[in-house]
Amino acid sequence: MLFFRSNSTLSAGLRILLAAAALFGVAVGQANGQVEDSQEIKPLPVFTMGTGFISSFEGGTPHLGPLISPIFLIPIGQNWLIESRDTFEADLTPPPGSNDFKGDLQKEVDYLQLDYIANRYATVTIGRFLTPFGIYNERLYPIWIRDLQSDPLILPLGVGPTNASTGVMFRGGFNATSKIEVNYAAYFSAEISTNRFESDRAIGERVGIFLPGPRLEAGGSFEHLLQDSRSNAFGFHFAWQPRPLPLDIRGEYARSQNGSGYWIESAYRLNQVPVWRDQMRHVQAVARMQQFYVATVPSESLLPVNTNMFEFGLNYYFQDNFRFVSSYGRQFAPLGGNENVWTLGLTYRLVFPLGNGDVE
Amino acid sequence: MTARWLVLTSLALGALGLCSNLASAQEAKNVAANAPDPPRAAVAHANAAPSSASSQDDARWRMEGEKRFATNCGRCHQAPHKYPPRVMATAIRHMRVRATITDDDMRYILRYITQ
Repeated sequence: MLFFRSNSTLSAGLRILLAAAALFGVAVGQANGQVEDSQEIKPLPVFTMGTGFISSFEGGTPHLGPLISPIFLIPIGQNWLIESRDTFEADLTPPPGSNDFKGDLQKEVDYLQLDYIANRYATVTIGRFLTPFGIYNERLYPIWIRDLQSDPLILPLGVGPTNASTGVMFRGGFNATSKIEVNYAAYFSAEISTNRFESDRAIGERVGIFLPGPRLEAGGSFEHLLQDSRSNAFGFHFAWQPRPLPLDIRGEYARSQNGSGYWIESAYRLNQVPVWRDQMRHVQAVARMQQFYVATVPSESLLPVNTNMFEFGLNYYFQDNFRFVSSYGRQFAPLGGNENVWTLGLTYRLVFPLGNGDVE
Repeated sequence: MTARWLVLTSLALGALGLCSNLASAQEAKNVAANAPDPPRAAVAHANAAPSSASSQDDARWRMEGEKRFATNCGRCHQAPHKYPPRVMATAIRHMRVRATITDDDMRYILRYITQ
């Protein structure tokens, strides 16, 4: 019932959307026959948790940021999955004139969703899910994955302040040819004002093309708000991992009535450096350049002035799931002052199977 | 205005369905022509005494799985720990949804990471 309002035009539109979704499912179902899940391994529920402690100095002001992010993955049968991620974090800073660090604990339900793998081309998701706008929010946001700990300046564009939507989503990936993979996500989100579950009423979609040969992905995203200003947001993304090098290059561009901008990031694992190989293979060097431009309608979740920022980071992987992260950034805001941003921290991720993980 | 956007979204969804419909036949041809058949039984082979033919299949699947693991998973993750097979089966289902990896990629990668 959350999806419907009394507005008859809107209800009619939503009925069309749902009918199209149903037709979509039928079409792809007929195209491919019965879904065949090859997993003879029976998946079991898994609890996993990312945690970290990030300290930063922004313009000379210290911040301490402990974070815990538990994730539950509960597979049901061959085609279903319940997944959730919550985040508990604090931003502790000393009040003026004090040396004590104070701050509130922030709790957020990042996603709580039920996935149904309908067939090899489509998965249906209902519940609260990460808004599929660009690639950063869905794939790179967790602190144990991201290479630089600060958010891109344009992150709130398209995904809103909570990064999440609540409603229904269709998504999937398939081979268009042997050399081209297509991935897509289309969603409808309802307006939710309940604390920790906030989301906007919106529709949107993202389509990407991935070339496995050169390991290059490019795509675009679009969102239309169905409330308030009824504005549009759109964006483009790309990612490239050249085969000869342990190098990741990624970038996004986004534009809405609240602003526009881009970021481009490269991360290089130093395991090809011919000196101190035992140590260097654990080191990753990262650089990111980004620009943000304010538009006509300011947003609380975005910077209030045009800003350029450059960051350079070094990460050291003790293990694949445990690392030391560090970075230095310089923020240039002609109308709002310039500042340095330093970051130091540790990130760790554990995985805990809720049962016997071996094959019976 | 709202109804117009909803209709456009509906048409987009319908188009996606049509595209995937058209892609299915093409994909079946291409996959069959260019790669070993996706492993249908992810772990049964891992525990079975392999014949000569199945050893060759295993080797081909492992190479293809390793390649697809690096190509897909390596876009966001470092090479992970070895976890028990049933944990990896859950993780790969999670990533199929999260990272929209294809069904064939999922089969190869699961086969590779559980061997």
